[in-house]
Amino acid sequence: MVIDDSRAMRMILKRIVAKLNFEAVEAGDGQEALDLLATMTEVPELALIDWNMPNMNGLEFVTKVRAEPRLREMTLVMVTTESEQSQIVRALAAGAHEYVIKPFTEGAMIEKLALLGLVPTGANS
Amino acid sequence: MSEPVVTERDLAEMAEQVWVSYLDPEGVNPLVPHGDVKQLSEVHSTVSITGSWHGHLVYASSQNAARRAAAAFLAMEPDEVAQEDISDVLGELANIVGGNVKAMLPAGCFLSLPTVVLAPDTASYYPAAERISGLYGIWDGEPVSISMWQSVKQEASA
Amino acid sequence: MTLSAADFAFVSALVRREAAIVLAPGKEYLVEARLIPVARQVGAASVAEFLANMQRRPNSEDQRRIIDALTTNETSWFRDREPFSALTDVVLPELVRSRGTNRKLRLWSAASSSGQEAYSLAITLQENLPTGWSYEIMGSDISTEMVKRAEAAEYSQVEVNRGLPATQLVQYFERAGAHWRITPALRRNVSFKLMNLTAPLPALPPFDVIFLRNVLIYFDVATKKSVLRNVARLLRPDGWLFLGAAETTIGIDDNYERVAAGRTSAYRVRSAVPAGTARKG
Repeated sequence: MVIDDSRAMRMILKRIVAKLNFEAVEAGDGQEALDLLATMTEVPELALIDWNMPNMNGLEFVTKVRAEPRLREMTLVMVTTESEQSQIVRALAAGAHEYVIKPFTEGAMIEKLALLGLVPTGANS
Repeated sequence: MSEPVVTERDLAEMAEQVWVSYLDPEGVNPLVPHGDVKQLSEVHSTVSITGSWHGHLVYASSQNAARRAAAAFLAMEPDEVAQEDISDVLGELANIVGGNVKAMLPAGCFLSLPTVVLAPDTASYYPAAERISGLYGIWDGEPVSISMWQSVKQEASA
Repeated sequence: MTLSAADFAFVSALVRREAAIVLAPGKEYLVEARLIPVARQVGAASVAEFLANMQRRPNSEDQRRIIDALTTNETSWFRDREPFSALTDVVLPELVRSRGTNRKLRLWSAASSSGQEAYSLAITLQENLPTGWSYEIMGSDISTEMVKRAEAAEYSQVEVNRGLPATQLVQYFERAGAHWRITPALRRNVSFKLMNLTAPLPALPPFDVIFLRNVLIYFDVATKKSVLRNVARLLRPDGWLFLGAAETTIGIDDNYERVAAGRTSAYRVRSAVPAGTARKG
């Protein structure tokens, strides 16, 4: 699942995860993502989450997902321009598994997902 | 005058990172600075910073450069790019540089969502602010700039 | 102007052979764009002239320039991951058993470039050595500029994104303007030296582990031999040498033996490997 208010950023992220054989659904903010998750029978394996979005920001989304047992297995990765040390600490404390700062190269994103065991061996060469 | 909180060098480094990440991943077509603050722009996007520091980060370019940026970002051909794509990509470029700039400012700043204007960036858009630094250059033969504006009131009270 | 098919084939073969980099057809423009500054630097009128000169007189300096220009200069933290896992899972437990008396390890990141590998080693040891143990890491590079950069220990946003877990970013780095800087606590254990691996090496206390990765790719066979011989003198008899994934000592220096180390391979000086623990590669 790709959650970002920028359609351009959603496209970049979808393109990258498609290379790792993920099929992605999109949401433009945290609330839209929660609404979408409520309708899905199968919980996505991974969510890439922007921080600054209208309606519900990424940090609130992470907090809400962590409080929801049904969504426990989802791997949460913040993908954001928020790059202060204190913000990264806040996101990790709220339950994000990884944190990617924008701008990121495709290689950097794949390396981060590899850290989370989400890249099949050999796909990262 | 003391050195601004964010210098031209800082902006140049951020631009380089944005280029290598999205606009020129193969490193064959960088933004080349020339320092001419008078260069023309046709479109621009802004993110505002509030909190312990007040001001704006502005990304401006020609229409052609904006179209090429959108094409590079979205992996499309330039002639397939719609106006909506251009707006979205311009907004994201200001957002990315703005977020990195914010991390250099005093703690406790907030970043607005980007505003995109398909018209030249002129000082008239920021009547209560002055430019403290800027990166002006040519990308693929087209003008691109990234500039930092600080609210004048805050500077007086600082 | 684009590269001729023959020039492209020459460069493709060179980087494939030496650095295991595969340039797909259609990347002529990329090779051209990357080699223009190189040609200018060596005073050739064009990329074609630079390549013609080099094909007439092959030399390792130009070879290095070409490989440098076509490899991404960005270095990842914990690059390739496997050697660092091998360190944690295989090498450190063994060294902890065998160095129980002085409880101190020395590691060398040879050709340390901007320092990511040396600091990645420091983070690995920081997190995996038992309490009461200490370590020293030396990085070395042939470039004064790189030694200075590594000592400064400052990295851009894009650089800290590469392969570095966020938990380690917040633990071992601090913000420094637009950059991130390694904390003093980690920097204290890491030093850098200017060093040319192809010249006789300075006398130094020997190392328990040497990372010499993606270095041999730059050299011809004779130079590879002399680098491996030089390095062997600074490796403790029961120490471990790690090479890059595209590199080996096999067929170059028989004093080393390839051994399995986790999911990758390492090299040990032959006589020192106790019988039965080594697996021939």
